[in-house]
Amino acid sequence: MKNQKSKKQNRIWILLNFISLIAGISLFYMVKIYHWPLSYLLIEIVILAIFFISLNKAFIVTKFWKMVHTSSKNLDEREMQVVLNALRYAYGIFTVVCLIIIYAFAIAESKPIDVVLAGGLLYLAHTLPAAIVGWNEKVI
Amino acid sequence: MLYYVVYLQCMYYICNMKSRKIYNRISILRQEKGTSRKELAEKIGVNFQTVGYLEREEYNPSLDLAFRISENFGLPIELIFSTKPLKPLIEEIIQLKNKIGES
Repeated sequence: MKNQKSKKQNRIWILLNFISLIAGISLFYMVKIYHWPLSYLLIEIVILAIFFISLNKAFIVTKFWKMVHTSSKNLDEREMQVVLNALRYAYGIFTVVCLIIIYAFAIAESKPIDVVLAGGLLYLAHTLPAAIVGWNEKVI
Repeated sequence: MLYYVVYLQCMYYICNMKSRKIYNRISILRQEKGTSRKELAEKIGVNFQTVGYLEREEYNPSLDLAFRISENFGLPIELIFSTKPLKPLIEEIIQLKNKIGES
């Protein structure tokens, strides 16, 4: 029962982290493209706060980030299987996301991908395997 | 691109071929010995969470790990692991004794 509760909590923090990432990047582009008032960027600060809190709760406190980025010598056979599975799924998901973004930019014939979006994709690449582990595993 | 998708699908199938459920007596034996999951984990060289997964039969150990567990408890592998639901250990021992007696 306790384990189910911790799994549910993990999932909520992971979802919160990715939603705040998407919301933050989207708001940045909305302000940039539609010339919204800069006061909207105050909302960005709130979103960033949620982002960093959820990052800490979802990946650092739970040690899922460490599990995925540690040497395989420090993992037992089950953990290695879990990490390899997570990397496999993460690779697939990340590839699809990147292709969609690249095609969307190509179809829209807009400017090339800038630093903010690239930073978001870099973050996604680093945290997706840990997110998949955290989605399926109980807290370490 | 198409060949790559087919390759990924094959790898996915191979990696997810359903293995049978392996039943075990690890929890009972550990409690009889009076050791904690952490102590057992240290002896067999895994994380204590993995011991939990083993006891709940949510993870099938490799052959090497199964042998390490059997050596730790000083019992043959067949008395600790089974592909069929396990009877009480005393029944298994009586059956083994009868088999030895008959032979």
